Amino acid sequence: MPAVGRTYWLTEPCRIRREDDSLRIERPDNTPVRIPITDVRDLIAFDHVDINTSALSILSRNGVSLHVLDHYGNHAGHFAPTDAMSSGPVLRRQVELTADPDLRATIGRALILAAGENLRWSLDTDHLDPALATLRAKLPSCDERDAIMAQEGNYRRTGWAVLDTQLPPWLRLNGRTRRPPTNAGNAFISYLNTLVYARVLTAIRSTPLHPAIGFLHADTDRRRNTLALDLAEPFKPLFAERLLKRAASQKHLKPSDFETEVGRASLSKNGRKKVAVLMREELDTTVYHRTLKRKVSYEELIHLEALKIVRLCLEDKPYKPFRPWW
Amino acid sequence: MNQPPSPDEGPGSDDAPLGGVHLKYLHHCPRQLWLYTHGYRPEQRSDLVAFGEVIDETTFTRRRDIDLGEAKIDWVTAGAVIHETKSSRAPAPAHAAQVRHYCLLLERRGVAVRGGVVHYPLIRRTVDVPWNDEARDQARQDEALARSVIAAPTTPPRLPRRECRGCSYLDYCWGD
Repeated sequence: MPAVGRTYWLTEPCRIRREDDSLRIERPDNTPVRIPITDVRDLIAFDHVDINTSALSILSRNGVSLHVLDHYGNHAGHFAPTDAMSSGPVLRRQVELTADPDLRATIGRALILAAGENLRWSLDTDHLDPALATLRAKLPSCDERDAIMAQEGNYRRTGWAVLDTQLPPWLRLNGRTRRPPTNAGNAFISYLNTLVYARVLTAIRSTPLHPAIGFLHADTDRRRNTLALDLAEPFKPLFAERLLKRAASQKHLKPSDFETEVGRASLSKNGRKKVAVLMREELDTTVYHRTLKRKVSYEELIHLEALKIVRLCLEDKPYKPFRPWW
Repeated sequence: MNQPPSPDEGPGSDDAPLGGVHLKYLHHCPRQLWLYTHGYRPEQRSDLVAFGEVIDETTFTRRRDIDLGEAKIDWVTAGAVIHETKSSRAPAPAHAAQVRHYCLLLERRGVAVRGGVVHYPLIRRTVDVPWNDEARDQARQDEALARSVIAAPTTPPRLPRRECRGCSYLDYCWGD
């Protein structure tokens, strides 16, 4: 993808205005930033953003989407340009494929296994090997979505317990909780998972695929876009767990970056900013891609993942979920 | 860039209009043509395509596009000479084929076409595309070939890797 455009992360309250044929971001300290619209791929609003229809129409005209995150970092919704990329043949094929229970189970199992292996990779430990072996043994006999998700749940619990051993006490998850997350570690993971979801959604929107027609998650799961949730699975360990581990070991996060109340926690304003920087740097990290013969960023990996589904739809090429090769 | 055909015309149907892009893609890579007509269109995300659009907008600015619906001709001069601008630095057979297709389209509309010219503003060269019986046959053959590629049930194979350089479909074709 895309050398064309960047992601802009709005971590402070601001107002997005249209100025001529471009964007002006007004910040509370009265230092407006002017951004050429051609440089924007999408916007992520972490805080209150004022925007009007003329700004929205210029976003739409240039194919820019705006993701809105709520206070807890949940994906509150997004503004998307009109479907310029949509395509009848691809969509019909996508519907056909996702209606096939065998294929759905195959892809679901592949996704969960890849997510499991990626978690093992990102925690870089032997303690997960037995759990991974169990997952490998149990998955082939699961045909139903619920059974697959149950296996995933078991494995994930072990994974988070192992992750806890690598974290300082105040960041430990002590069991994964969400909606709302109960402690700092959970708040961090939830926040990062949301960011990954938003990245995947953007990637899918740049292909002719429909983000709501997927393989693994239930169609109305958390009222999100199913395909985006599916494709986010293998990437979550790469970003969420790995960044938490790194931020903890580098002592990058402080308790003051979180607002903790009894039974719920969220990132503070400063914490959100830190996380945005962490994530942005991570997305810009590049690795050498062996068949494309060039460096690709982690962000592009997500885009390439969406293209694999397009290939599945157009050419029936079997889908192999993402595994880190480096 | 030329207008893509309207999306509701399905691929492969015999009277689906073919534009210049179709012919250019056919000559560059049949696989690209197949993917384009089946709905995968990554051009918007390509730097090179954006560059080509800028070249088109900033050269020959006094001339106006001729919109035929299925195709958009860069401009036409008296005696019906068809002009096409390319941001490329190297003339390619695909460019001439695109112009021949425009000649054919205009002729079908009853215009007495004399020929075509491809402009390469970056190297300040032009290439003449003659329009005669031979060229007409060629254009018709290309058109039939394009339709057969589009109607094929499976994707044509990808080109050798080195010929994919700069193609906006590269990520799709080679990103395993």
